[in-house]
Amino acid sequence: MILDGKVPTGPITEKWDKHRFEMKLVSPANKRKYKIIIVGTGLAGASAAASLAELGYQVEVFTYHDSPRRAHSIAAQGGINAAKNYPNDGDSIWRLFYDTVKGGDFRARESNVYRLAQVSNNIIDQCVAQGVPFAREYSGYLANRSFGGAQLSRTFYARGQTGQQLLLGAYSAMMRQVGLNKIVLHTKTEMLDLIVINGIARGVVTRNLLTGKIESYVADAVVLATGGYSNVFYLSTNAQACNVTATYRAYKRGAFFANPCFTQIHPTCIPQSGEHQSKLTLMSESLRNDGRVWVPKNPGDKRKPTEIPEEDRDYYLERMYPSYGNLAPRDIASRAAKRVCDEGRGVGPTGNGVYLDFSDAIKRLGKKVIEERYGNLFEMYERITGDNPYETPMMIYPAPHYTMGGLWVDYNLMSNIPGLHVIGEANFSDHGANRLGASALMQGLADGYFILPYTIGHYFATTKLEKVTTDHPEVKKCVQEVQERIKKLMSINGKKTPTQFHRELGKIMWNYCGMSRNEEGLKKALELVPKLRDEFWSNLTIVGEEGDLNIVLEKALRVADFLEFAELMLWDALERNESCGGHFREEHQYPDGEAKRDDENFCHVAAWEYTGIGNKPIRHVEPLVFEYVPLTVRSYK
Amino acid sequence: MSLFGYLRSTILSKVVMAITGAVLVLYVIVHTAGNMLIFIGKDSLNSYSAFLHSLGPILWIIRAVLILSAILHIITSIKLKFENLAAKPSKYAVKNYLKAKLSSRTMIWTGIMILSFVVYHLLHFTFRTTNPQHYYPEFYQPHNAVSSIIIERFDVYRMVVLGFQNPLISIVYIVGVILVGFHLDHAIQSMFQTLGYNQKHYFPTIQKCSTTLAIIIVLCLVSIPISVLLGFIGGEI
Amino acid sequence: MKLTLHIWRQKNTNAKGHFETYIMDNVIEDMSFLEMLDVLNERLILEGKEPVAFDHDCREGICGACSLTINGIPHGPEKGTTTCQLHMRKFKDGDEIWIEPFRARAFPVIKDLIVDRSAFDRIIQAGGFISVNTGQAPEANSILVPKKNADTAMDAAQCIGCGACVAACPNGAAMLFVAAKVSHFAYLPQGQPERKLRVLKMVEQMQKDGFGNCSNYYECEAACPKQISVKFIALMNRDYLKASFSDEKSELIRNQLA
Repeated sequence: MILDGKVPTGPITEKWDKHRFEMKLVSPANKRKYKIIIVGTGLAGASAAASLAELGYQVEVFTYHDSPRRAHSIAAQGGINAAKNYPNDGDSIWRLFYDTVKGGDFRARESNVYRLAQVSNNIIDQCVAQGVPFAREYSGYLANRSFGGAQLSRTFYARGQTGQQLLLGAYSAMMRQVGLNKIVLHTKTEMLDLIVINGIARGVVTRNLLTGKIESYVADAVVLATGGYSNVFYLSTNAQACNVTATYRAYKRGAFFANPCFTQIHPTCIPQSGEHQSKLTLMSESLRNDGRVWVPKNPGDKRKPTEIPEEDRDYYLERMYPSYGNLAPRDIASRAAKRVCDEGRGVGPTGNGVYLDFSDAIKRLGKKVIEERYGNLFEMYERITGDNPYETPMMIYPAPHYTMGGLWVDYNLMSNIPGLHVIGEANFSDHGANRLGASALMQGLADGYFILPYTIGHYFATTKLEKVTTDHPEVKKCVQEVQERIKKLMSINGKKTPTQFHRELGKIMWNYCGMSRNEEGLKKALELVPKLRDEFWSNLTIVGEEGDLNIVLEKALRVADFLEFAELMLWDALERNESCGGHFREEHQYPDGEAKRDDENFCHVAAWEYTGIGNKPIRHVEPLVFEYVPLTVRSYK
Repeated sequence: MSLFGYLRSTILSKVVMAITGAVLVLYVIVHTAGNMLIFIGKDSLNSYSAFLHSLGPILWIIRAVLILSAILHIITSIKLKFENLAAKPSKYAVKNYLKAKLSSRTMIWTGIMILSFVVYHLLHFTFRTTNPQHYYPEFYQPHNAVSSIIIERFDVYRMVVLGFQNPLISIVYIVGVILVGFHLDHAIQSMFQTLGYNQKHYFPTIQKCSTTLAIIIVLCLVSIPISVLLGFIGGEI
Repeated sequence: MKLTLHIWRQKNTNAKGHFETYIMDNVIEDMSFLEMLDVLNERLILEGKEPVAFDHDCREGICGACSLTINGIPHGPEKGTTTCQLHMRKFKDGDEIWIEPFRARAFPVIKDLIVDRSAFDRIIQAGGFISVNTGQAPEANSILVPKKNADTAMDAAQCIGCGACVAACPNGAAMLFVAAKVSHFAYLPQGQPERKLRVLKMVEQMQKDGFGNCSNYYECEAACPKQISVKFIALMNRDYLKASFSDEKSELIRNQLA
């Protein structure tokens, strides 16, 4: 099937305005008759919930956390992009659009990206009005900084806690609506299935994590804002609870999953220290503004970093990419790190690490300036590793961080299941095959504040919805299926914990579908994952009861879905027989090791349709047309 | 809002604690300074006492303010304490304090002990019921008097000396005064915090001053019974 | 390292809790505290016993989910550090460690080390926001904020809502949490129109939720993983006092009577 992204016609600069005019409206009196379920309270979910409730819709919000403020958007450190051009350094909506399309290695929908760049400025306005304490100049004006993948300063930031401050802004806007009784908030409630009635998304089945109670909720539209699936790798920078269940369950109910193999590996994380490790910690990419990345020139150089003289160091990013240097985009910087480590020049106890050195910056700017800029990050590093980065270089290594893939959505952010809208990291839309730094926050808030509130109205105004209650047979059936799934898990009585399976799955995925992939490895993984899944369903152990707070069962439900999802990701990686952005196929590279795209055969979105567990899903295609940003080899040299 | 309406608000209760506390602290400072006259001599102390008594209605206004402050301070503190106990129904099996000083954690107990001490102090020196045998009048002729008028006034000096010559009474006073100092160590800086005066550039100084002032008051007041016991004062009686 | 852990186990809110002792061999100093508990939990599951329930998520010190009192100190012995960022190199071989939930009436225990902190959400709901709808905002640079004020606002705004302040306070008071939000907005021009109403409403909700009073112990500041200063409590006290004699207060009373 050729998918239709429902992109409006006309010149790209006018598409969104034109579309906004053409979309049907719901009158204020009618808005309160519509009920919207939103799953997830990160930047996208919270901002959408607040905006939709302000418009007058009835909103019901679900989060598995004890408070909406704990969603993982809170951990974004670096900043948020906008085309304000305050520094007068030549930025514009067009340039932000251009950079994002190019940064995404030409695998995003042009019209979506342009719209994103257009609303980026409104986001900053909105956040400032909410009281987000962005960094300021002495004059009182907003400050900007540069960020990986950009040659100008368009990033707004609040120390190293930009995600936190933006999320708290959206969270407080949402809590205001909760206080006004416009939003019903369900905390500690995890979505376990999507209710589809007559082909239309009408609700969710949830599990109350405190009581274990399975409940169903119906509405006129469902919005998934449930984030990404980096935890398929077990070790990632994502929070422990981040999972694929919500989007994967929607996929199993018929929603198409687009580009699942597009995962981003963040170049600056603290290397793994041992088997016990539960997560990888990201060090903000902003560190690359002043830090210089290097490894010893000679493999096996065991000297302390401070004892290695300048001539024996290889500042490989500066050498390979002179114009961007240490600020090369994430996928490029990550792969370069892997390459030098594969050459045996990696540092640290595991050999999987490179130095990020601040000694030149400290010499140039003084310790005080560095402390002001990165003080909290340096402290965090020291807490985790016991090393003081003012004295000895940091050690960093890439780690899974963000997933560009996600449920397929059209220009209106609606999936192929009518009524199912997907926003933020959970959808596939704007970042193509690679996301630029400080763009995730921008996309989450753009979707939630400024896009979905318009498009969902159009959906209501143009769709006739039958009345549905939780007594509907389809709802009951869905609830029953969830209950059976839980019963089945509880009754395996095997010998391995969910975490053990998760860790094993992570290893397979990291080794065969991680920073670089090849046909042989992917095929091998396609054998290993189903085997592991079979073992899971025959040898899992869960203690405790299902009708109680049960952390083992929670984890088992999530791992069960990762074990199915991993196979989908492998299929996508195998079928996308090219290298692009975060997806690097070793068979497709230039002699210097750069990714080689195949625009002739793969300039499209791959959206997968579920066909049953263990079966190869069906691959649908949405062709991508680049009218405004000409397809070129992405070069950062 | 009734007089005790403020009790419904946690912050206003604290503000009342701070303001009434401030009144009582000021009184303690003045009282201490007045008491120091004992080191100048019998005449100074007795004249000061006579002067206070001559204030008439003003003295009663001061007393009224003090009594009201004390009552509000006590009622509010008891209400706060009960609420606080209720707000922390289960305690930690192991508790390590990071910053809370002993003086801050014992405010209610030092407060109750100070109250008992003050009651005793009033019975002893003001109402003179515990040791009526220490009460003597003094017949006094002012230096600058033209005629040879003899005035009868209360001999505070003699009463204090006779009282403190009893070691038991002295110990009660010394302990009482130390408790006051302990209370003030936390109280004075706490007043500033509660009333909203805490900025980095001066608050550490306030905290130091709080402790220093408490120590000075203790040293001054303790010096009296000790001087009496050692015979530096009142040898002539 | 070999450690002895005394961990608070409690089946549910109404059950009586107790300490259970676990011996941990082979604790590696690079482990985080929670990773050490992960290892324990894996062991318990394999032994067929219920693992220790504790809240955690981001494991990088920002989500505010983790909430353990370790040897009587919320988030443990390292200053300015959440439990998830506390590493075992802060302990030594043979140590005995007492692990308890955050304790306060307003934070009832749900299970083992998990407590209910929804009171914080209710406080934010009562007034911890600027009432601006999506779309109403003026151009960002039309609102100037002196750098000093923006920095101070950020000092307050970095609160992660973990509740260590309440857990550390001998009175179970939430003054630092509320003051941080009140001060964040008080330092910004955007926060001025609702400044008085905000402080009145948030403090009122704080009292309703059963938090204790402030005795100026400053334990909250010492335990705060973001080291938020008690000077913000002073600011809130002053704002509250001013607001108590304002038109906003009269209006609130009128609304309550109505």
